[in-house]
Amino acid sequence: MALDRRLEVLAVCGVGMGSSLMLKMTAEDALSSLGVDARVENTDVSSARGMSPDVVIGQGMHTGEIADLAPVVITISDFLDKDGLAAQLKERLTEQGWLP
Amino acid sequence: MTVIAANDDVAARDWREAVREAAAALVAAGAAGEGYPAACERVVEENGPYIVLTKGLALVHARPEDGGLAVGVGVTRLAAPVEFGHPDNDPVDLLLAFCTPDPDAHVGTLAALARSLSGGLAGRLRAAPGREDLARALKEAVPDA
Repeated sequence: MALDRRLEVLAVCGVGMGSSLMLKMTAEDALSSLGVDARVENTDVSSARGMSPDVVIGQGMHTGEIADLAPVVITISDFLDKDGLAAQLKERLTEQGWLP
Repeated sequence: MTVIAANDDVAARDWREAVREAAAALVAAGAAGEGYPAACERVVEENGPYIVLTKGLALVHARPEDGGLAVGVGVTRLAAPVEFGHPDNDPVDLLLAFCTPDPDAHVGTLAALARSLSGGLAGRLRAAPGREDLARALKEAVPDA
């Protein structure tokens, strides 16, 4: 069943203001290419622990620490790779039945 | 108004020197305080090499309270690449450093930089013939520079 609300996505990095902001831009582009209505925020790993997003995206060194935070946790190593991220999102959101 | 800095053909023996040199360009441009390079090095020490965002490119920065005086962006091109210990994106030959006086002032600048990086900015920076061209290519990517 498709989500009946906006998808909440969290981009994480160590400090929460540089790399994760770059990743947020990439994620917004990737989600919009999939036609997903989403809100993407960026933050640091420690702050992320208090949040409950639908999707978390980050590098492996960070997503490993918060693997249980969200139903979908996506690890990427290239923060600028829109197409690679879109492909991972498509697969994982389809598994959840969240793609429109 | 974003301050722009550019450093070319920089000799760095390891990632620490590379990070400090990249941040020192912001200090020289008056956008960051003296302690900023060491703070940038600590960020990598404490959080790991995640600042290597994509193949060969690191985004160097620390927190506003570590000495951000203005919004500044600097590019540093290394004479020879260095290893950060990143599982996929090593070695690094290009560093972008930024600083900001508060947690929000840099958002527009970084967003523009992200768009430009998606549009091939890293390639244009690598292809720039010299320091002046390097600064110009970066300046073109930042709307209010």
